[in-house]
Amino acid sequence: MVRSNNIVATQTAHTLSTFNVAMKEIRNSVLTMASITQQNMEFAIRGLLERSQEACNEAIADDDEVNSFEKVVDTEGMQILIRFSPVAADLRHVLAAMKIAGNLERISDQAQSVARRARKIIKHPEVSETRSVEPLFEMAINLYKDSIRCYAEGDVELALSLYERDQELDKAHSKMIKELTKTMERQPSNLKTYLHLIFILRCLERIGDHAVNIGEDAVFAESAADIRHVGARALTDS
Amino acid sequence: MSAISAGTEKTVGSQKTEKPEGAKKSLVIETNEVSFAYDGKKDVLKKISMQIFAQEVTAFIGPSGCGKSTLLRNFNRMNDLIPTAKITNGHISILGSDIFDPMVDVIELRKKVGMVFQKYNPFPKSIYENVAYGLRIAGENRKSVIDQAVEESLQLSGLWEEVKDRLDASGMGLSGGQQQRLCIARTIAVRPEIILMDEPCSALDPISTAKVEDLITQLKEKFTIVIVTHNMQQATRVSDRTAFFYLGSLIEMDDTTKLFTNPTQKETEDYISGRFG
Repeated sequence: MVRSNNIVATQTAHTLSTFNVAMKEIRNSVLTMASITQQNMEFAIRGLLERSQEACNEAIADDDEVNSFEKVVDTEGMQILIRFSPVAADLRHVLAAMKIAGNLERISDQAQSVARRARKIIKHPEVSETRSVEPLFEMAINLYKDSIRCYAEGDVELALSLYERDQELDKAHSKMIKELTKTMERQPSNLKTYLHLIFILRCLERIGDHAVNIGEDAVFAESAADIRHVGARALTDS
Repeated sequence: MSAISAGTEKTVGSQKTEKPEGAKKSLVIETNEVSFAYDGKKDVLKKISMQIFAQEVTAFIGPSGCGKSTLLRNFNRMNDLIPTAKITNGHISILGSDIFDPMVDVIELRKKVGMVFQKYNPFPKSIYENVAYGLRIAGENRKSVIDQAVEESLQLSGLWEEVKDRLDASGMGLSGGQQQRLCIARTIAVRPEIILMDEPCSALDPISTAKVEDLITQLKEKFTIVIVTHNMQQATRVSDRTAFFYLGSLIEMDDTTKLFTNPTQKETEDYISGRFG
């Protein structure tokens, strides 16, 4: 049963003010980390589409910051567990924050891979197929933004919709891989560029998977339902 | 026939036998809309209905004054010692018998429903005599029987290895944690069906607390245990089911893991997560 949207916002303040502060801090760390991750994705795709080495370098460099934030979130989470032994919604939010941080780190890694491949692509002559990555990127980043909204706002319904959208992303990914493979056969001279594009598409597809994971963690934090592998059925069962 | 009437011995003793995996646990305590007032008028327990099952540890939690100890003390009619106190509604069944039935022998009831208190209270007697006391007042005089019961009870309470060479020493000379385990040995010596524990670790250090908690986990194989505790972590560590009380009402009772991860009532969530109480 889903009791309410955004448990954190509706909860009464804890008796211990230090606990309230610690919970706010870990939440802010996750949201800051999410913001940097999104920025890295945007830098990476700009580097590819605008053939900007500078943007690629930004995405690669900023991945370190995301890695550092993952450690910060883990440390904050462990400290809350040790110092306050949280239970119920508090415990779920701490666990979700730590798991979401792990997914954000992986998404940022994917953004970094996109940027590294983009940096190699722009050393070769431009191919028109590069533009075809953009729609897939839009699907992936929108999925990502909504997964973060699920966490920030406790939106369970939105989280449940991410599955279908990820499947659409997967289909679009498969379709583009097929098209690019055919193009490679026709134009073997640009083989390296096309291979890099295929790997970039793969990174975007993986970002969709991580976004779904974030949505699942947000649902767990809000409603205690574990929707992994079973979807919305877990909400009616719980 | 009542399981706790005078002269009936162990009519439900079979409950201690091993049950096959997955078998339904038998009902040991049942309260049906129980209200209780210390002055006979103002209810401090309000229509409490709950079921407690065999060989489980059930924890009662809630802020001070919520009624958890009061309900616990009704299970062996300890509240009878207060002249004006009475059940104003409902009834309590233990092992299938209404414990407030006029035919019930309270001494027999208390043999079936033992109690361990917050402050350990060994008698000013030897370790041996502390454990043997309940058997002696029950009329058991055979030394071999008492010897065996004392050893078994001290073994069960995890104290035997620590005291077996000084059974004649005073029980008052033991450490706090040992004294509490001696009180548990004294309680189990008369082979109760149920052990009530009212904050049994609140006066103990962390190591002694851990020993008593470990003991509770072992004892539930043989006894049904109801424990009142203010320590949430203790409730999560030792209990199978937890009941949350507030202002004399039972707000929620559920599997302990479920209650501490996803309570259904806001009052429960606010209390266990430290937002009031």
